[in-house]
Amino acid sequence: MAETAHGVGGLKYDHSKRARPPEINVLIALVLIVLVFEALGALLMDQSFLFDTRGRFDSIFNEARLKIIILQVAIIGIIALGVTQVIITGGIDLSSGSIVGATAMIAMSFAQVAEVNGSPNPKAIFGPWAMDLPVTVPILVGLACGVIAGGINGALIAYTKIPPFIATLGMMVSARGVAKWWSKGNPISFPTDEYAAIGAGMTPVFIFIFLAILFHFILKYTVYGKHTYAIGSNEAAARMSGINVARHLVLVYTIAGVLAALAAVVLSAKNLTAQSGMGIMYELDAIAMAVIGGVSLSGGRGSIIGTCLGALIFGVIISGFTFLRLDAFYQEMVKGAIIVGAVVLDQWRQQRNASKS
Amino acid sequence: MKKTLLAAGIVTLLGSAVTAETIGVSMARFDDNFLTVLRNGMEEFAAGMDGVELQIEDATDDVAKQLDQINNFIASGVDAIIVNAVDTSATEAMSNAAESAGVPLVYVNRQPVNVDTLPDNQAFVASNEIESGTLAAFEACQLLRAAGLAGGAQGYLLMGQLSNQAAVQRSKDVDDILGIDMCNFITLIDRQTANWSRDEAQDLMTNFMSSGEPFDVVFANNDEMAIGAIQAMKAGGMDMADVVVVGVDATQDALLAMQAGDLDATVFQDAAGQGSGAVNAALALAAGEDVDQKVYIPFVLVTPENVGDFLSRN
Repeated sequence: MAETAHGVGGLKYDHSKRARPPEINVLIALVLIVLVFEALGALLMDQSFLFDTRGRFDSIFNEARLKIIILQVAIIGIIALGVTQVIITGGIDLSSGSIVGATAMIAMSFAQVAEVNGSPNPKAIFGPWAMDLPVTVPILVGLACGVIAGGINGALIAYTKIPPFIATLGMMVSARGVAKWWSKGNPISFPTDEYAAIGAGMTPVFIFIFLAILFHFILKYTVYGKHTYAIGSNEAAARMSGINVARHLVLVYTIAGVLAALAAVVLSAKNLTAQSGMGIMYELDAIAMAVIGGVSLSGGRGSIIGTCLGALIFGVIISGFTFLRLDAFYQEMVKGAIIVGAVVLDQWRQQRNASKS
Repeated sequence: MKKTLLAAGIVTLLGSAVTAETIGVSMARFDDNFLTVLRNGMEEFAAGMDGVELQIEDATDDVAKQLDQINNFIASGVDAIIVNAVDTSATEAMSNAAESAGVPLVYVNRQPVNVDTLPDNQAFVASNEIESGTLAAFEACQLLRAAGLAGGAQGYLLMGQLSNQAAVQRSKDVDDILGIDMCNFITLIDRQTANWSRDEAQDLMTNFMSSGEPFDVVFANNDEMAIGAIQAMKAGGMDMADVVVVGVDATQDALLAMQAGDLDATVFQDAAGQGSGAVNAALALAAGEDVDQKVYIPFVLVTPENVGDFLSRN
C-alpha cells in the first residue's frame, strides 16, 4: 500500500468535511425553539418560559414546567424507543397505539382493587379471584400482550414477506378491536396502589430515561445493534454476511411491541383507568419524535439520543403553546409544520454533506 | 352485486325468524364511555323484551361509514334504525335514505341538523345539551360565592374536541354563565382543549399550573377531563378543598371522585334512559304509532348531597 503525503491511498483527510453527528442539529433546533418561546414569553407574557422569575422555586428554573415538559412525552417516548429500532431496520410500526389500547385494558383488569370508598369496585371485570393481585401479575400480563402482538408483527414481516406497513396496519386495526372487545367498550378503573405507583409523579420519566439509556447502549455496542443498522442499510448485504435477517426482524418488532405494552402499563397507572380509546394516534407521535430526531425512514440511520431529543422538542412545543396561551386551533397547525420543517432541514443538511464529499 | 346477494341472503334468514322486530343501530363509536352506557342501556332494554333484536354497528367516527351502515340496514330489511350520528350536520342524507325506503329512523343523543324538518316516521331522543354546561357552571359560581370569593375568582376551562357540538355548547354555557351579573366575578385565565381525555387533561392542567398563576375553579366539558385535572392538582400538592372542580356526565369514576371529596359538581345525563327511549320510539314508529318527534330526557345536577342516588345509574 502506497503511503503518500496525503495519507492512505492518496485520500486527504479534511477536517471540515467530517460530518457533524446529526443529533447536534436536533439539539440546536431544540435550543432555538426554547429561545423562541423565551423571547415570545418576555415579549407577550412578561414571564420566562424555563426560568423561575417569580421566586416560586429554590432553583433558578421553573421546575414545574421542566417536569411537565418531560412527563408529558415520557410515555409516547417509551414507544418511540421501539419505533426507532423498527425504523432503523427500514421498517415502520403503525400498531403501537393500538397495542397500547389493548394492553392497557387487559393489564388493568388484573390490577383492580376489590373495594372503592368501602363498596365493591363498580368496574370489576373478573370475579373476586382477580382482585388485589400482586402488581407483578398485571405487569407480566401486559408484557405478554406486547410479546404476542409484536411477535405476530415480526413473524408476518419476516416470513410472509409482506411490507411492514401492511402487517402493522393489520395489527393496528385488530388490536384496537381487541381493546374494544375486551370489556365491550367499558372503561376499567380503580387499580391497586402498587399498580398506580408505576405511573405516579415522575416515575414515568425515570422509566423512560432508564430504557433510553439501556437501548442506547444496546444499539451502539452490541451485536443486536450492529445487525439492526446493517439490515436497515442494506438488507441483501446483511443477509450475505450471514445475519439471520428473519430472526432478527422478529426480535426487533417484538421489542417494539413490549415497549408499547410497557407504555400502556405506565399510561393506565398514571391515569388510574384503562379505556379502549387509549393510545389513538400515539404511533404517529412516536414516529414523528423519531423522525424529528434524525431517524431516517429509509433505514440504517438514526439513534436513541436523536429520538429522545425529538421527544423533548415535542414536549417543549406542547408546553410552550400553553405557556403562550395560544388558541387550541393554531396548536395543531404549528405542530404539523414543525414536524415537516424538521425533516426538510435534515434533508438539506444531508444533501449538502453529500455534495461536499 | 356481492352486496345485493348478501343482503338477499340476510333477508331470507330474517324472514324465517317469526315476527321478530329487528332494529339496526349505528353508534358513532364504541370506545366512548358515555356512548357505551347508552349502548348498554339499549341492549338491556331490548333483552328484556320478547322478539326485539338489535344489530349494533360501530361507525368508528366515520361519517361515510355510518351512511353505508344505514344503507346496509335498509338493504337487509330491518324494521327500524337508530342512529347516534358521527357528525350532526351530515344527517340529511341518512334521513333521505331511510325515508325513501320507508324505514323508521330514530336519532339518539346527538341532535341532527334537520331536527325541525324530520319526516313523519323519524324522531330524535336526547337530552337538551344547553342544560348540562349551564347547570355545572352555575353550581360552580354559587360554590365560589359561598366560599367568599365573590370579590374575584380565576379559573381554567378544559374543552372537549373542538369539532364536537357538545364541546362547543358546553364551553359557550360557561361563557354565558360568566356573563351574568351574579357570576361575572369569575375570570378565565385560559381555555384549552384536552380532547375529552383524562390523560391530556392531566398534562394540560400540569402545564397550566407551571405558570404559577393562582386559581379557584376548573370547568371541564366532561368528567374524564375533570378527573385528569384533579389528578394533576393532587400531584402538584394542592388541597382539593381549596378549588372548585366541575364536570359533566356523572360517570362512575366521577361519582366516586365526588364521594372522596375531590369533584364538586357534575351533571347526570341519563345515557341508559336515552338508549331505552330510542328503542321505544323505534318500536312505536315501526308499529305505525304516533311518536313525539323530539323526546327530551332531562339533565340532573349531581352534588355531594345527592351523589348516592346516582351511583348505580350510569
